[in-house]
Amino acid sequence: MALVESRPRETRRIGWLERLPASYWALGAVLLLMPAFASDFVIFQIMGWTFILGIIALSLMFLAGYGGMVSLVQMSVAGVAGYMIAICGDSAIETISQGWPWYIAIPLALIIAVAAGTAVGWLAVRTEGIYTIMITLAIASAFFYFARQNYVIFNGFSGFNGVLPPELFGVDWRAPGAFYYLTLFWATAGYLAVLYLSRAPFGLALQGVRDNPRRMAALGFNVTAHRVAAYSFAALLAGIGGILLTWQSAQISPGTAGIGPVIDILVIAVIGGLRHPIGPFIGAFIYVLLKTFALDALVAVGLGGERFQLLIGVGFVLIVFFSPDGVLGLWEKVRQNRGRDLVRDPSGEAR
Amino acid sequence: MRWFVNKHPVWAGFIIILAAIALWLIFAVWPEWLVDAVGRKKIFLNALFNGITLGGLYFLVASGFTLIFGLMRNVNLAHGSLYLLGGYIGYGVAEWTGYWLLAFPAAFIVAGAFGILLQLVVFRRMEGQDLRQTLVTIGVSIVMADLMLWIWGGDFYNIRAPSWLSGPMETFFVTDVRTSTGDLIFLKYPMVRVVIFAASVVVGIGMWLLLSRTRVGMMIRAGVDDSQMLAATGARIQLAFLGVFAFGAGLAGMAGVVGGTFQSVAPGEDIRFLLASLVVVIVGGMGSIPGAAIGALLIGLAEQFGSVYFPTYAVVLTFLIMVLVLAFRPQGLMGRA
Amino acid sequence: MIAQSSVTQRLSATGTANALELRGVSKLFGALAALSDINITVRPGERRAVLGSNGAGKTTLFNCVTGDFPLTTGAIRFFGEDISAFPAHERIRRGLRRTYQISLLLNGLSVIDNVYLACRGVSRGRFSFLRPRRDDALMASAETLVRVVSLDSVQDALVSTLSHGQQRQLEIAMALAGAPRFILFDEPAAGLSPTERRDLIQILTGLPSHMGFIIIEHDMDVALRVAESVTMMHNGRIFKEGKPSEIEDDPEVQALYLGGGPD
Repeated sequence: MALVESRPRETRRIGWLERLPASYWALGAVLLLMPAFASDFVIFQIMGWTFILGIIALSLMFLAGYGGMVSLVQMSVAGVAGYMIAICGDSAIETISQGWPWYIAIPLALIIAVAAGTAVGWLAVRTEGIYTIMITLAIASAFFYFARQNYVIFNGFSGFNGVLPPELFGVDWRAPGAFYYLTLFWATAGYLAVLYLSRAPFGLALQGVRDNPRRMAALGFNVTAHRVAAYSFAALLAGIGGILLTWQSAQISPGTAGIGPVIDILVIAVIGGLRHPIGPFIGAFIYVLLKTFALDALVAVGLGGERFQLLIGVGFVLIVFFSPDGVLGLWEKVRQNRGRDLVRDPSGEAR
Repeated sequence: MRWFVNKHPVWAGFIIILAAIALWLIFAVWPEWLVDAVGRKKIFLNALFNGITLGGLYFLVASGFTLIFGLMRNVNLAHGSLYLLGGYIGYGVAEWTGYWLLAFPAAFIVAGAFGILLQLVVFRRMEGQDLRQTLVTIGVSIVMADLMLWIWGGDFYNIRAPSWLSGPMETFFVTDVRTSTGDLIFLKYPMVRVVIFAASVVVGIGMWLLLSRTRVGMMIRAGVDDSQMLAATGARIQLAFLGVFAFGAGLAGMAGVVGGTFQSVAPGEDIRFLLASLVVVIVGGMGSIPGAAIGALLIGLAEQFGSVYFPTYAVVLTFLIMVLVLAFRPQGLMGRA
Repeated sequence: MIAQSSVTQRLSATGTANALELRGVSKLFGALAALSDINITVRPGERRAVLGSNGAGKTTLFNCVTGDFPLTTGAIRFFGEDISAFPAHERIRRGLRRTYQISLLLNGLSVIDNVYLACRGVSRGRFSFLRPRRDDALMASAETLVRVVSLDSVQDALVSTLSHGQQRQLEIAMALAGAPRFILFDEPAAGLSPTERRDLIQILTGLPSHMGFIIIEHDMDVALRVAESVTMMHNGRIFKEGKPSEIEDDPEVQALYLGGGPD
């Protein structure tokens, strides 16, 4: 199942600080200083949403790119965390919300999300790779229907509103500036964690399991255990994203983890590229831009604004057709072509 | 059958006991205490037969899905869109011509043509890349869903069954005894559902015969096991793939007409029936037609009984079955380990 | 250099439990009996060759021992422990290793990554979230192994870029990782050039004396040079066992395998 042809190349032994190219420093500076020159709408709505969707899509990329398992349940796990923070913490639905303090509610929400993700992983990993998509999609839809019909815990169709981040250190974390830095922090943390982990024994073993599970078993690795552990880690990432998502819109409802959003996360991860942890964030940025401005663009072209799904669908099909490694793959090809000496290599083939 | 009894005597005994209880429940007149506890027998029988006929519908949709996966290792997530397309086309044809029966071949041809298109334009180009093919089907389903929404709007359409099929028919199942006269009251059940169920049984048996008794079927089954080997023997595997895909797609389209008659044709039905296919195939086992039949029956019954007796948690029952199967027999009830 | 240490000497050195013991093992695929009533005893440190024509069941035998296939009947004991019901990774952690007829490598990772994982697989910290430090012991042994099989020049290359011979060498390195007690070599000489074959023989004969192995080979030259005892298989059964010289001269063997056509 090789959607990704070659693997991320990592260099070791050189200090990572020296290795960072100038573009990383520039990007870092822009991101850190953005609230100074961008509007509240941009930093809260566009960038915040990008970081959040990026984190959730990162969890999918971790499983798919490093583990070879395309899991459609990541958005549902995010939903579980969002629901749990509403139920354990404060919300407008006082009959259900427990109102526990943040230092209990947040860890508890994450623990429950990780438990849920682990359980799904255990169900999903003992079959062939391609089944994973089916099984996780079915489980994701089960969660959606259940949340919609259960009024005791999940408050059914309406879900929870009035879910706000706690006020810590005197900061209103939902104010645009603070929220921006909050999501930026977690996005960066997630990104660095995945990057680091990819070369740790756990990450290496996971890639080995992706490449050749039979071989890994013959080297002494418990393949099933590794896959399930990968789901657990991915659930942690998705859970963090879910809590941030709930805080951003101050509400959570079954639709947050509906089939549409579930598939959207896959679309985001694939469009960005499954090869490197930056891919999901690139994909999320593109998606958020489209979602925000497509209405105007579609109307300008003469189509109704409701044709957003058509746009996304066509774009997705085109990407998978022509660049299955997503935007990252396109970027690689462009770089290779530019580095080519046209005189010595007139064949025109990208290597 | 004997092999199963020999190998799993406990399970076989369990199933026999369940079957005996079920038969009694269906054919006997219910005593008072049972009616008090569970409800009227008429409701039970309706749920039972609705479940069985719904299972027939699910089988029609899921069997195409499982066939396509079984042969091409491709999880075709646009299958639901083919169902819905068949439903819309069938509705249009039935309304335009006035003949309900014409809806079926129309839906079959259009959905089948789409299937051929998908196979030629998409899958042949990405031979061997299972994941990529599946991703494309996701994209295609998104596009198709929006196009159909654009063309037909968000209304619910119901395909009217022809007059010779509509209305109830008398069955021989006893629901009650008229207290005044002691006469037996028999269940009246919609004829159209019975006919469609019978048709799906015929289709199912036909497919099973085709796969197990003909040379084409043997080729397809060999392709399921090892398509590379089959191609190396010179068998026209590409043609077989095309045929299977077209047939599976056409079947989904016809199922759309059935669903439109039973229930309705509307946006969202594509996702609903795709999910149903997924669950049926997970429970029954990939690539297995008998598995799809058993899975469809189980899920249909679970859904109907759930919605009658535990309405809030009907969905949970269905997915509970799926989770149990995944936990204890991940390859499905009839799947190959 | 031919390994000529006496079996009895090695026996007394490492204890009385047999390294590998198969009793009444058979493996049926439906109606096809790939293995029938196999009884084999291998002492610790013994070097055994399993020979036979294609389809004799040699690789199936290996697959049963490593746990890829469940047994239909019989039991397997590894250093006295019944491993018949163990999953593959449990058997490996007890000191069993295997190479494959067709190299089974982790194609997306580099040479050193492959060997490092091989060392990790049988040690603690498989789930470690921490990257290995510069002085990591396992990393050091991985690098040593890479040197032993002369792949240190391509240490960081992706496996998919290696030549066939280099991939076979990597297979050997991974089999030697983590102090194995017993190795199964499945046609290690397949596709190697004469020079590479010589290097292979050197590696095999140079293994520590406590490390026993079974080698499947079609190349009689390699097999009879490194082995001190031979088991001949045919149609899923063992039909002869003995010293290399005895097997070479046996008329039945010659008729069936060395000179004769398929049965």
